[in-house]
Amino acid sequence: MAHPIKMPKVAMAMNEGTVTEWLVGEGAKVSRNQELFSIETEKTAYEVEGTHEGFLHITVPKGETVPVEAVVGYIAESEAELAELQAAGAAVAASASAPEPVAEVAAKAAPTAPAAPPQVAASGTDRIKASPLAKRMAQMDGIDLAQVAGTGPGGRIKKRDILAHDAGSATTTSAETADHGRTVKARVPLTGMRGAIADAMAKANAETAHTHIFGEIDISETLAMRKRFVAKAEKLGTKVSMNAIFMKAMAVAARHVPIANATLENGEVIIWNNVNIGMAVSLEGQTEFDSGLIVPVVKDVQSKGLVEIDLEIRRLIAAARDGSLAPDDTKGGTITLSSTAGFWPGYATSTALINVPQVMIVQPSTAVQKPVVVDGKIVIRDMMPISLTMDHRALDGVPFAKFYTIFHECLADPDTMLA
Amino acid sequence: MGLSKKLMTQLFTNLVRAYHFDELFARRLTRGELIGFYHPAAGHYAPGVAAGTVLEKEDYMWPHHRAHGVPHMLSKGCDIKYFLAEHTGKETGCCSGRTSWHWSYPEFGIFGMTGFIGGGFSQMVGYGWAAQKNGRKQVAMSCTGDGSFNNGRAHESMLMASNWKLPIIFLCENNGWAIHSRIEDMHPTEDIASLAPGLNIPAAIVDGQDVFACAEALQEAVKRARKGDGPTLIEAKTVRWREHDIGTPDLDGYRQRTKEELEALHDRDPLKIATQQVLETKLLTQAQIDKIHEDALAECDACEKFADESAIAEPTVEELRASVYAD
Amino acid sequence: MVQMTYVEAIKSAIQEEMRADDSVFMVGQDIRGAIYPHSKGLVEEFGEDRIVDTPMSEFGMFGTAFGAAMTGEYRPIVDFMFAACSFCAGETLMVQLGQQYFLHGSQTPVPMVILGACGTGKRLANDHSYIPRAEILHRPGLKYVFPSTPADAKGLMASAIRDNNPVFFLYHYDLLMDKGEVPEGQYYIPLGETEVKREGTDITVLANGLMYKHAMEVAEKLEGEINVEVLDPRSFEPFDLDTLLASLEKTNHLVIVDEDHARCGFAAEVMAQVFEKGFDLLDAPIERVCIENMPIPGGYMEPTVVPTPEKVEAAIRRVLA
Repeated sequence: MAHPIKMPKVAMAMNEGTVTEWLVGEGAKVSRNQELFSIETEKTAYEVEGTHEGFLHITVPKGETVPVEAVVGYIAESEAELAELQAAGAAVAASASAPEPVAEVAAKAAPTAPAAPPQVAASGTDRIKASPLAKRMAQMDGIDLAQVAGTGPGGRIKKRDILAHDAGSATTTSAETADHGRTVKARVPLTGMRGAIADAMAKANAETAHTHIFGEIDISETLAMRKRFVAKAEKLGTKVSMNAIFMKAMAVAARHVPIANATLENGEVIIWNNVNIGMAVSLEGQTEFDSGLIVPVVKDVQSKGLVEIDLEIRRLIAAARDGSLAPDDTKGGTITLSSTAGFWPGYATSTALINVPQVMIVQPSTAVQKPVVVDGKIVIRDMMPISLTMDHRALDGVPFAKFYTIFHECLADPDTMLA
Repeated sequence: MGLSKKLMTQLFTNLVRAYHFDELFARRLTRGELIGFYHPAAGHYAPGVAAGTVLEKEDYMWPHHRAHGVPHMLSKGCDIKYFLAEHTGKETGCCSGRTSWHWSYPEFGIFGMTGFIGGGFSQMVGYGWAAQKNGRKQVAMSCTGDGSFNNGRAHESMLMASNWKLPIIFLCENNGWAIHSRIEDMHPTEDIASLAPGLNIPAAIVDGQDVFACAEALQEAVKRARKGDGPTLIEAKTVRWREHDIGTPDLDGYRQRTKEELEALHDRDPLKIATQQVLETKLLTQAQIDKIHEDALAECDACEKFADESAIAEPTVEELRASVYAD
Repeated sequence: MVQMTYVEAIKSAIQEEMRADDSVFMVGQDIRGAIYPHSKGLVEEFGEDRIVDTPMSEFGMFGTAFGAAMTGEYRPIVDFMFAACSFCAGETLMVQLGQQYFLHGSQTPVPMVILGACGTGKRLANDHSYIPRAEILHRPGLKYVFPSTPADAKGLMASAIRDNNPVFFLYHYDLLMDKGEVPEGQYYIPLGETEVKREGTDITVLANGLMYKHAMEVAEKLEGEINVEVLDPRSFEPFDLDTLLASLEKTNHLVIVDEDHARCGFAAEVMAQVFEKGFDLLDAPIERVCIENMPIPGGYMEPTVVPTPEKVEAAIRRVLA
């Protein structure tokens, strides 16, 4: 009997996953625990291993997004069984293109994969949840619901998902859709990572009582210190980055103001011992027009030295960019650093949205040289604009100011941070 | 006696008809030729005959549950063939075969019923109200049993009728049994008529086995009502020598009634009493009486023929749906 | 058009119909003195024969109307003052009234109006607050209307009086003094026409009476964020499903707000009808906002148990999730 291969649920909040690559070809002999395909979720990428030995039959091709628990392929026990699966898949694919009576379509929509053998199709767990309207639209448009990602409650496919699916197929073809005299260049569906970002940002904006502080820090001493560290890069094993220094300063400030290192959920604020700092990492988007964002977490910054912090930052950024973040790498954050230093033009600051359920986010920006008054004289210093955002539900102005003051002092006079 | 010979002949004729129709309905039920049920008159039919006979066609009436109101309605002029057809589920039934036993003769001021005892008292106030307001000197006749007066609606109905001096005659056909319960266990005084004085309603008690006595009392009450003097309660003491409805045991509480006590009741058969009276007063000869019986039996036959030859009422659901609301 | 209150509109329809038709009369308790002002001044205009006070005998009072209607010569209005008090007329009202016409061969129409005030908001507790609805709608042969605005009150009352069937015309205490534009002279709203009271594109909210006001309040609050279409059935029996389905063609989402208990209620009935006739129009499960399944308490806890604008908004957001 063939064993179904399912889209695994690798994170609590995971609703769907995209098959980014099949690492083994259709029909290939595979062994147990062999990595079969890679997936991308809202948060991370992951390799999925096989559960049985046998021959691989793929039903969800590369690039498709399916709900968790959806069947993406089968491991056949024999070559004969493989051939049966392949034949069944071809037959269903052929019939799917012809118009069908409504009743049959409903039945067809129920199993996740068109090629599911009867014994698998009969089990309720593979049922695709779709609204009646979405089912009707899919039928009229000839869309296989198994190929549509549901964004409704419990992964239910709704009208908007069918529209997004239609739009997704449209981007690859052409930008010819006319709309009130405008023409569409591309459509970016709010699914996958983009959908997760959209949800998180909207939630932060709608549900937190966010308030901000804006400042400017003289980081001339910090830059000088960093210069000294970089000169010893070979000895230290890394070029200590500004991000590592920012994190260190955040950990010091959090030690003095524990309420800043907290999460607010289910009616209580939990203050954490570990200072686990999330770090916003920009990624490429789904199309050439949008962008992506992921927030891996550097754990236990309070007990790490600058070098340790920096090495972990580098590992996480690399993993984020090549899609090899482990699910755990993006979990457990208690406060977030969202640095715009380097790509924000000088003199500019922005307000960051809180990474819920955390209560604080720190957003340093690009330093510029400015004339400032020191000891009654005008001198040129490296001045860094910065903004911090807090959730006023969890903490108030006094601790917020205290956190910022300590952070400010750490960067203005790094000796205080390291001493 | 204050009854005209013509009226007495009518009363006697209707009594004979009521007797034979009761036999007919009871017989058909036990043979499986009625589709619903039947509550036999069994000695309790003189008050109904009197009530129907003294009314005009236009007067409003709520016939009695017992004998399904057949004595009342045939005496008022209703053609019972439609009622028998109703009891046999035919499309010619007075309710188009939709009930198996409800009455409906709107042109005779009989608008339909409910199967629950005392259920007619509410709308009786409305009939009386309409009769009082429309200026045509109509009256409304409420025919119920002693059991009905155990129901709260009886009080409200009499209260409002008295209050507004409505032209209503409350006829209580007291056969002493509310289903299988004795009136003495269910009612605190010997007479239902005792309820009336407290509501300022005149009341009279008559022998319910004497159709002429019943008619005389009711006629008086009708006269009062037409004059605008308000309601009257007439209590007619009658008997029932069979079970409440055919097929249930004939009980006194939870004890079977004895053959002896039932047979004794037959001495009080209203037809026996009336026959004696018309012969004694020479109102009718035996030959005339025989002819009346003959005609009544022929009428019964004709009704059976009509009902049996009528088509079973089997409307489509669409037809029924279209009949729930009036246009 | 003239400005008048909801209760003045009810009276205005009764007045117009009584002037036009001598067979219309009104029977109730203390209606000459007019505990509720819908009958105020009517006895002076129409006399004691047509504005009739009865003893506290609901069987008899109801029977006066029921019996008179059956005779074919009258079109009575029976006023129970408090709607739930109609159940004092028990079997006559709940069994006989609806069956009378149909069972007896569709020969004797029963043209009458059953009038009663009800509704939450006054914190009077279950017996006064409760809106008899599911019980009535469950009985075939009865019609049922409930106005939300003064114009509805006038048009529905006039049509109810003209109808040849028993029509329950229940109205809400909390709306009595609401003012609105009402057409002058005789004005009829046909029974069985759901009205689109506010156009929208994102979600349909079906609501009536005080719930209609809640729905409008929420719709206005969400303006710009969620485009809410508000439908008012006005007539619950006959009920116009087609207008609701047409709305769902556009919005694909439905919230039903009903000032009754959810269990076996009108909201449940509408859900069933939509599932039967409009399943494919739905993009999300329907939600009901109804009264908690308990006798309605009075006092300050009333809003905990009954639908509020906040509960309506939350339901809208859940359905659109």
